[in-house]
Amino acid sequence: MTARRTSELLVGALPIALILALWYGLAASGAAPPSLLPPPAAVLSRLMGRLGDPVFLEHAATTLARLFAGFAIAVVVGVGVGLAATGSRTVEALVRPLVRILAPVPKIALYPAFILILGFEHASKIALVAADATFPILLATYQGASAVEPKLVWSALAAGTSRRQALIKVVLPAALPSVLTGCRIGLVISCIVVFLAEMIASSNGLGHLLVYAARSFHTVDMFVPLIAISILGLALNAGFNRLRARLLAGFPEEN
Amino acid sequence: MSARLAAYPGVPPLIACAGLLALWELAARVFQIGGLPPAHAALAELPRLLADREALLNILDSVRRMAVGFALALACAVPVGLLMGRSRLVAAFFNPLLMAIYPVPKAALMPIVMLWLGIGDASKTLVIFLGVSLPLVYHAYQGARAVEEKMLWSAAAMGLGATRRLVRIVLPASLPEIFVGIRTGLVLALITMVTSEMIARQSGVGNILFNSLDMALYETVYATILVIGAMGFLLDAAFERLRARLVAWAEPERAIAVGTT
Amino acid sequence: MIVIERLSKSFETKRRTAPHLALADISLTIADGEFVSVLGPSGCGKSTLLYIVGGFVQPSEGSVTVGGAPVTGPGPDRGPVFQEFALFPWKTVLGNVAYGLIEQGLGRAEAEAKARALIALVHLSGYENFYPKELSGGMKQRVAIARTLAYGPSILLMDEPFGALDAHTRTGLQNELLEIWERDRKTVLFVTHSVEEAVFLSDRVVVLTRSPGRIKAEVRIGLPRPRRRAELLVDRRYQTLVVDIERLMDRPEERP
Repeated sequence: MTARRTSELLVGALPIALILALWYGLAASGAAPPSLLPPPAAVLSRLMGRLGDPVFLEHAATTLARLFAGFAIAVVVGVGVGLAATGSRTVEALVRPLVRILAPVPKIALYPAFILILGFEHASKIALVAADATFPILLATYQGASAVEPKLVWSALAAGTSRRQALIKVVLPAALPSVLTGCRIGLVISCIVVFLAEMIASSNGLGHLLVYAARSFHTVDMFVPLIAISILGLALNAGFNRLRARLLAGFPEEN
Repeated sequence: MSARLAAYPGVPPLIACAGLLALWELAARVFQIGGLPPAHAALAELPRLLADREALLNILDSVRRMAVGFALALACAVPVGLLMGRSRLVAAFFNPLLMAIYPVPKAALMPIVMLWLGIGDASKTLVIFLGVSLPLVYHAYQGARAVEEKMLWSAAAMGLGATRRLVRIVLPASLPEIFVGIRTGLVLALITMVTSEMIARQSGVGNILFNSLDMALYETVYATILVIGAMGFLLDAAFERLRARLVAWAEPERAIAVGTT
Repeated sequence: MIVIERLSKSFETKRRTAPHLALADISLTIADGEFVSVLGPSGCGKSTLLYIVGGFVQPSEGSVTVGGAPVTGPGPDRGPVFQEFALFPWKTVLGNVAYGLIEQGLGRAEAEAKARALIALVHLSGYENFYPKELSGGMKQRVAIARTLAYGPSILLMDEPFGALDAHTRTGLQNELLEIWERDRKTVLFVTHSVEEAVFLSDRVVVLTRSPGRIKAEVRIGLPRPRRRAELLVDRRYQTLVVDIERLMDRPEERP
């Protein structure tokens, strides 16, 4: 690693270290009572403990399952509709105004409707995740697909591919960088939305654990699910980036 | 629908709206789901909702908190972002921290923040502030980074000091990108506000939503959803107009992947 | 045989109200196995002519028939080679070249074997598993040519294929193209704005006017084949042809 990189990393670690130090200081000095701000050591040990607790892990698994289900739906719908809108004027004319009105609407406002129609359990959360995550994926797919060089498609058409097949065989792979960027944003959104949905109205999951701890005044237990979902989010993001790099092996490097 | 009519910018979304409402009405009648009142019932509830003094106060409270949180974020985040864009050191300092905060749902901090700041406005405003700051910093950063070096050299040759350069060259040049950040931030502010109200259940539209849900006033629930939806749409549309006018000199903007919590 | 009759093409433009006329009243016949270049200044519509023959763009008026049948869309009988290479970035060299073969219904193993033979033909053996981004411009174009040859078109449509390459690579590829062409003498429609290139490669050169493009002149190139660059450059007939055509292009057009 170059000297510059090392110094940059050190500088970057500074604010995080400062915040941790502040946290530690406030807790240790007694300026903040443990009921408001538990010491970092307490939070860490509780976190470690919970990670070995099957009940906690089951909640985490529930959150993950809902996340993935919603995300999967968002990918299928987002990519499917985005591609279809590129390939067909009719579809585009239908989709464009719909996206324009629905995109700025906070989908979280639909949550009560989902609860009323789909119930209190998994379905409403999955529906909300899907509703929120679909839009960035759809937009990214549409943008990427529209920007594909027509001569790529022409080359395939000349080789004997039909127009419809060309959408899947040429446009989709060519638009993959864009599509995957949209999917990454969708994944982060899925993470956030599932957690929030569980905080607002759920009987299980990591989000629910946070609210439950708040109601029972177990401050340490409030930090644990928050840290857990953040780590999860970072891990999923990193994992996705790895996958993305693999899938885009042939594409020129971008910024 | 004739192509002429569709060319007017407001018409297709209006038709899409009408279409969605019609679909809703149809689905409610055909499927007879308990939790889905027909569209006309929800629409009928709207005037009553908007005339209700308490509800209006709630909505205004929401908007006020949003505005304050947003203004604070703008004041803090944009300078930080601009500095990050021009100084490697500042960027190196803030980047890892911001990347660590990014996946944390800001509204999820509500219970903890409420623990420290109580159930009043401060906690919700803080959460909105945190939520909106991130896209603002990011876009200010990107905008400042992209400012052409040569423009700054010309300015330096003309005798402008570092601070003046930042304010008089970097800021205007980054404005298009900052406006993209503001647009994202506005959407986020609305979302964070509604969500934090749903969690805190003290006042505001989020509160009305879940109160009505608890009391099984289904038409009110859906009417409130329509209100929130309209707020989102109008806010975004109004801002777009403003943005287009203010930064008309910039290159055409790419479509934004909207919507994060 | 390609028969182009009274072909015209106009494009809708957003700004101006009148559509832009790119090609006007082109009539041209190209015999089987003939190598024809289309020359003209920038914007004269020569690429558009190629795209219409290829079936990628629809004409506004007139018709194109290939082997007696009218052109309705793209097909494996007319293989394009583009200036921008248009290689599939997510596929390797082998994947790109084998694409057409797999579209024709060949099994993977057979397609890859044939593809390897073509890759050897364009002197790129050893690069099968490279991605296009790892290749130089000249190499990319060789892959593009191999990819088009793979599905066995009887007609090659080449749109300034060497325009994006440096002079040295360009002359090397011109030679290679002629070598490949000599093997089975496909019909070639070759668009270029370089007079020397046109004279060096073709049996006939069609010169277009500036926009809207009409046929200004057709010049037969009677130079013997096989043609070698070193010999041709000092050949009087070659030099005269180049000068004559250049003069022709500079000559002001008679307004119809």
